[in-house]
Amino acid sequence: MDAELYLDKNSFIHRLDPRTKIMVFLLSFVAILLFQNPLFMLPVAFLIILQLVISGSLKNLLRIRYILVVMTISSLILWNLFAGGVTHLWWFLSVQSLEYSIARTLLIVLMISAGMILISTTRNEELVLGMIRLGMPYRVGFAISTSIRLVPTITSSTLTISQAQRSRGLDLDSGNLIVRLRKFLPLLVPVFISAIRTTNIFAMALESKGFGAREKRSYYLKLEMKKADYWVLAFTIIFMLASIILSILGYGQIPGLIHF
Amino acid sequence: MAEPIVSIRDLQFRYRGQKGHALDGINLDISRGEFLVIMGPSEAGKSTLAATINGLIPHFQNGKLNGTVTVMGRNTRDNTVAQMAEIVGMVFQDFEAQLFSTNVELEVAFGPENFAVDREEIGRRINENLDYVGLDAYRHRPPSTLSGGQKQKLAIASVLALKPTVLVMDEPTTDLDPISKIGVFEITHRLCKRDDLTLIIIEHETEEALFADRIGLIKDGKLVKIGPAREILADINLMEELGVMPLGIPKFFKQMGATNLPLTPEEGWEAFQKTGWKISETAYQALVAKEHDQLAKLDQPLIQCHDLEYSYNKEVKALDGISMEIFKGDMVAIVGQNGSGKTTLAKHFNGLLMPTSGDVLVNGLPTPDQGVFKLGQTVGYVFQNPDHQIFSETVFDEVAFNPRLRKLSVDEVKKRVEDALAAVGLTGFEQQDPFALTKSGRQRVAVASILAAQPEVLILDEPTTGLDYAEQRSMMNMVRNLNENGSTIIFVTHHMWVVAEYAHRVFVMKEGKIILEGSTRSVFSHDEELQAASLRPPHFVEFSNRLGHTFLYPEEMKKCIEGVQD
Repeated sequence: MDAELYLDKNSFIHRLDPRTKIMVFLLSFVAILLFQNPLFMLPVAFLIILQLVISGSLKNLLRIRYILVVMTISSLILWNLFAGGVTHLWWFLSVQSLEYSIARTLLIVLMISAGMILISTTRNEELVLGMIRLGMPYRVGFAISTSIRLVPTITSSTLTISQAQRSRGLDLDSGNLIVRLRKFLPLLVPVFISAIRTTNIFAMALESKGFGAREKRSYYLKLEMKKADYWVLAFTIIFMLASIILSILGYGQIPGLIHF
Repeated sequence: MAEPIVSIRDLQFRYRGQKGHALDGINLDISRGEFLVIMGPSEAGKSTLAATINGLIPHFQNGKLNGTVTVMGRNTRDNTVAQMAEIVGMVFQDFEAQLFSTNVELEVAFGPENFAVDREEIGRRINENLDYVGLDAYRHRPPSTLSGGQKQKLAIASVLALKPTVLVMDEPTTDLDPISKIGVFEITHRLCKRDDLTLIIIEHETEEALFADRIGLIKDGKLVKIGPAREILADINLMEELGVMPLGIPKFFKQMGATNLPLTPEEGWEAFQKTGWKISETAYQALVAKEHDQLAKLDQPLIQCHDLEYSYNKEVKALDGISMEIFKGDMVAIVGQNGSGKTTLAKHFNGLLMPTSGDVLVNGLPTPDQGVFKLGQTVGYVFQNPDHQIFSETVFDEVAFNPRLRKLSVDEVKKRVEDALAAVGLTGFEQQDPFALTKSGRQRVAVASILAAQPEVLILDEPTTGLDYAEQRSMMNMVRNLNENGSTIIFVTHHMWVVAEYAHRVFVMKEGKIILEGSTRSVFSHDEELQAASLRPPHFVEFSNRLGHTFLYPEEMKKCIEGVQD
């Protein structure tokens, strides 16, 4: 099973400095949050789709398409419960609440896509180093990269364990919800125990390689802001400022929307 | 003698919460450039000793430490593990858990980075060490895509990048397949020639200990004997007594009453020529004929494969045209490298995998018509790692899991558990916590929990991996016993001596095909084909092959020798 999301390619986005990518990710988040009206999110949406296509990360997004579809549909419905509007349509729906739920859904889908672009185009170590260079403590960064690193290990041991228990006659597919939940016990105990054992050795190996031996450590990876990075950053910041000005001028709101 | 690099004085250690001492009064000096192999049974304190050398004990493991460990004048008590990492490198058995990075290069860079080595120097060390272990071509790959052997080589490179003076390896090859073992041994052979590096390896493979300068035998936390490798390896009685596997060739010569014991196949062959002993042709033919008759008695096919093919993905066929039969009462070994398809094949027998094309019949019925749940009553499958299946609080509940699932009556469940525990020698352990047992104990619980379903066929995936010699023997004796009481046994293993002594028939797999099959003796007589599959027969079998006859273990050969002078 392939749990790795990073795509080993050499697109324009791949070549950008991780710090640039992290900043673009954060700033586009802010840019969307400024507006209630989905129409005003379209420029960001367009830019994110552009990045998806250039970087080839569409492939990874397709891998989670079922989750995306389910989330989109439920979000389109559920957000209506949290807002109302003056132009009543049908039952609990109004034009305004519908617009609002479209905007919220767009926000979720866009942020997942932006996150996917970041992960698909940046190596784990680069991402973490980028965060560290942006001010995060090394140990926090290491913890993040370790948790990403452990995902494939735990996935594969879970697979083996479920095969082992199935050969012993465990049948996970029948029975009602409570019966099924109880059947997961034979899976969970070995998964936890093997994970604990792995992390214990992991910690020993870490110490044995001098983790935290010096106040300061060096980095073999070199991050370098190139011309393209500055252009991308400049564009993102201008885009940001324009969005803020529009928002202050009162654009991008939904008139007649009532929050509950 | 020069100042020792590692000096251990009156070392005692007790893990917190345990009564006995894991290490009890060890005194040991190791000099610069020495290659020391440490051997001993499970729970003897080998890994504990290793962990004291770089300070994981007492800094990481809680417990009480007495005595001192000094490495290059640094007392481990006064230095953190991270500080010791500069001079003592440590490679662990579990190759998955000791790699942290998503890229081979960065994995090697990790250690030097911690010591703030500058970028150019790190680059040099990456090149040098990846080249040394032969992973240069993989430098941009994520470690998760490497094979087990490559991962272990990477772990070695990443430790060497710190330029340690002492390198400690705790069972570096135990979890590897034969070909990967050879690869790692090849690196250690080069390392031990470096006189600036002191090498300490904990090892189960006696045949590899031949290369050591000295061997230390440990039991119950005490250093029982330490001395030059040849001297220790010739002490067959002591090794047997400690539960460490003795070499087959000196064992044979000792049984024959020789005093000067040869160790390697080469030496054995030379020594044999000088003795004037002869192998009796009639006795040998009788042995072969008896074996043939026994195999001919098995004629009721239980599992049949016809042109079996299986693919995990479109590109590679994991199984490529397998046709075979396994008979009722058989005891079959399946051997081959990792990725050769052994486990994939075995998983077809109990329906965990279904053929992509071709057929697998169990008791005459295709497996897709039966399904895993139903097949589980006929074919039991014991997975390699018992910790992947044990989850209950008591041994009784663990073994009762399957009978209860099959909704048997309380009395029947009780009886089945009793029978299964008796078969694996764990009667009286019903109320124990399975997690508190030793590895071999847990392995037995796992076997018992499968036996409780009373299957006709028992598949064991690497039943001896991670056990010491004495445990391996008792495990396999138990399996043989089950076979003699009517169970059909199929086991997958990397331990060739286990195959030689316990299997009746052998299937050798390579790249999804069966390349060699037959009685154990006939398979082991095909030296060249086995070498081609990178499977090394045990030294003893190699030695007997050179004498023109295939003997599987010393006792068997002794009976066929004539011309012995009393």
